[in-house]
Amino acid sequence: MTDSKIILSVKDLVVKFRLRGRVLTAIREASLDLYEGESLAIVGESGSGKSVFTKTFMGLLDGNGWVDFGEILYGGENLAKYKTEDDWIKIRGKNIAMVFQDPMTSLNPLKTIGKQVQETVELHQCLKKEEAKKAVIEILNDVGIPEPERRYNQYPHEFSGGMRQRVVIAIAVACKPKILICDEPTTALDVTIQAQILGLLKRLKKKYKLTTIYITHDLGVVANVADRIAVMYAGDIVEIGNCEEVFYNAQHPYTWALLSSLPQLGVKGKPLHSIKGTPPNLFHKIKGDAFAPRNPRALKIDFVEKPPYFTVSPTHKAKTWLLDPRAPKVEPPESIEILRKQWGLSKDA
Amino acid sequence: MLKYSLKRLAQSLVTLFIIITVVFLLMRLMPEEGYFGQAYEKLDEAQREAILTGMGLRDPMHIQLKNFYKSLLVGDLGKSIIYRPKVPIAEILKTKIPYSLYFGLTAVVISLIAGISLGIIMARSKSQIWDKLGTGYIVFINAVPAAVYYLFLQLYVTDIFKLPILFKPDNTASWILPAISMSLGSTAAYAMWMRRYMVDELNKDYVKLARAKGLRNKTIMVKHIFRNAFVPMAQYLPSTLLYTISGSIYIESLYSIPGMGGLLVDVIQRQDNTVVQALVLIYSSIGIIGLFLGDVLMAMFDPRINLQKKGGAR
Repeated sequence: MTDSKIILSVKDLVVKFRLRGRVLTAIREASLDLYEGESLAIVGESGSGKSVFTKTFMGLLDGNGWVDFGEILYGGENLAKYKTEDDWIKIRGKNIAMVFQDPMTSLNPLKTIGKQVQETVELHQCLKKEEAKKAVIEILNDVGIPEPERRYNQYPHEFSGGMRQRVVIAIAVACKPKILICDEPTTALDVTIQAQILGLLKRLKKKYKLTTIYITHDLGVVANVADRIAVMYAGDIVEIGNCEEVFYNAQHPYTWALLSSLPQLGVKGKPLHSIKGTPPNLFHKIKGDAFAPRNPRALKIDFVEKPPYFTVSPTHKAKTWLLDPRAPKVEPPESIEILRKQWGLSKDA
Repeated sequence: MLKYSLKRLAQSLVTLFIIITVVFLLMRLMPEEGYFGQAYEKLDEAQREAILTGMGLRDPMHIQLKNFYKSLLVGDLGKSIIYRPKVPIAEILKTKIPYSLYFGLTAVVISLIAGISLGIIMARSKSQIWDKLGTGYIVFINAVPAAVYYLFLQLYVTDIFKLPILFKPDNTASWILPAISMSLGSTAAYAMWMRRYMVDELNKDYVKLARAKGLRNKTIMVKHIFRNAFVPMAQYLPSTLLYTISGSIYIESLYSIPGMGGLLVDVIQRQDNTVVQALVLIYSSIGIIGLFLGDVLMAMFDPRINLQKKGGAR
């Protein structure tokens, strides 16, 4: 991945929201480099800022939110500086597109799905009516909708959930975007359909040479689709690395806690692991490592100063003082040790 | 769509038939003085019987019903007895309906345009100054009895703009104020519902998707939100339009407009049985036709309604 070109670069992004007269910091100086053609998964619990983080790339923050600090570099431009609709129109759909979580509500119930896909095609590819219709039918065919000519004139209520998600994906890829953000694309679908949709996304990624970002809290999805994983906690990316590195050689205590909570790693007869406490209140200023209060292995410095990124390997870095050479040796939980050993084995083989 | 409409039409016709029958039967329970007018006191029992028999009111009930349907089919509503003795009811309505219709329709048009625009403006500037002003207006209209601001308008606005206080058919200026007064209440209602439906739509996921597609806010407003928000309002449009012929009691008596408003109350008080019967029939038919047209209109806008196997969803 390192030899690939960086397509999108986020530097020290701070996003704030005004809520009932108080200011909440949703993203706290998060940085991320996205490489062309890769597939990145952003994982984290609800409220960790995964969705908000990616929404800033498209200017889709709610009215009470704003980018307070930082840069989002894309195609030589700083998207964080974009203010007006005219600016964003150039990015949305054409360069960066998004697939939303719930296909049941993502489509306008009163318009035929053909029209809804066509809107995008006409907007970005400047095609005339007949040609646009042809293009739409081709895209519908591409996303695996049978009989696209007939389906073109049907309304969303005549589609099942999985089929609707295909339509939403069709809308997203209709303009051949460079980056596709999938915001929990399979959460609202049942398990058999999930696999189909993930397969479809992988196929489209190859066909259209997309760079994809998956937002999810389903680590099964991550293992299936991602090249790299970014772990998000309280509005910051605490660990990022290749799929194997984060799964089998996690360094940040939060990643440990997250992995230990996997039901697959539970021991029969023992209760499943769960992370104690709640995420920090984002209305307050967070001092030190945001995860420290919930971390049984927290060091003193974790409560005083925010850790910088420590490099584990050229592709793997984590924000934890445990990686500082001066830090005492702290043993990860048992389940993480098991994972590490597994990786060691697979490495030897 | 066609199948749905036909089904709804059949249902409406059945309802209409039942209502006509019920109204007719109920009217037979009214005191019989209503068939004589001023002459009642002067007649003796035998003469009264003779008149009632002459009107067919002593026939068996099913014969009476049959005759009633027959005359209805040829559009004969009967004759007024007390209100305007011996004048066909259709004749009376013909002079009154145009006034009510004119004022009613003008008021509907004004309030549709003003109310829906106000609703859209309020939805777009939610919790900002225009929204608050609009809410103030809606609260005012709903809280203050209509008679108060009607009177206020009649007394002061006529004075300021030098408009005539009473209605005169040949004076165009006297047509303006009644129409505007009538539209005030429904403007508030349309604004309130439009705002509410728009805000509902604005927060839906498909609007987010439309933005993510790269559509402009204006396009989303016009092509997605407005249309979807208007659908629930469309249902009541035909009823509103049809009911304008019933006129407004307040406005018509304030400005002494010779319209339909108050006619029903008037004839009930004076026990003019045939006119009461005709009016109740007309108003209930309008109600049913209005609902039918509203449902068909909804089905035209909203494709999901076609699929409902059971006709009357509402």
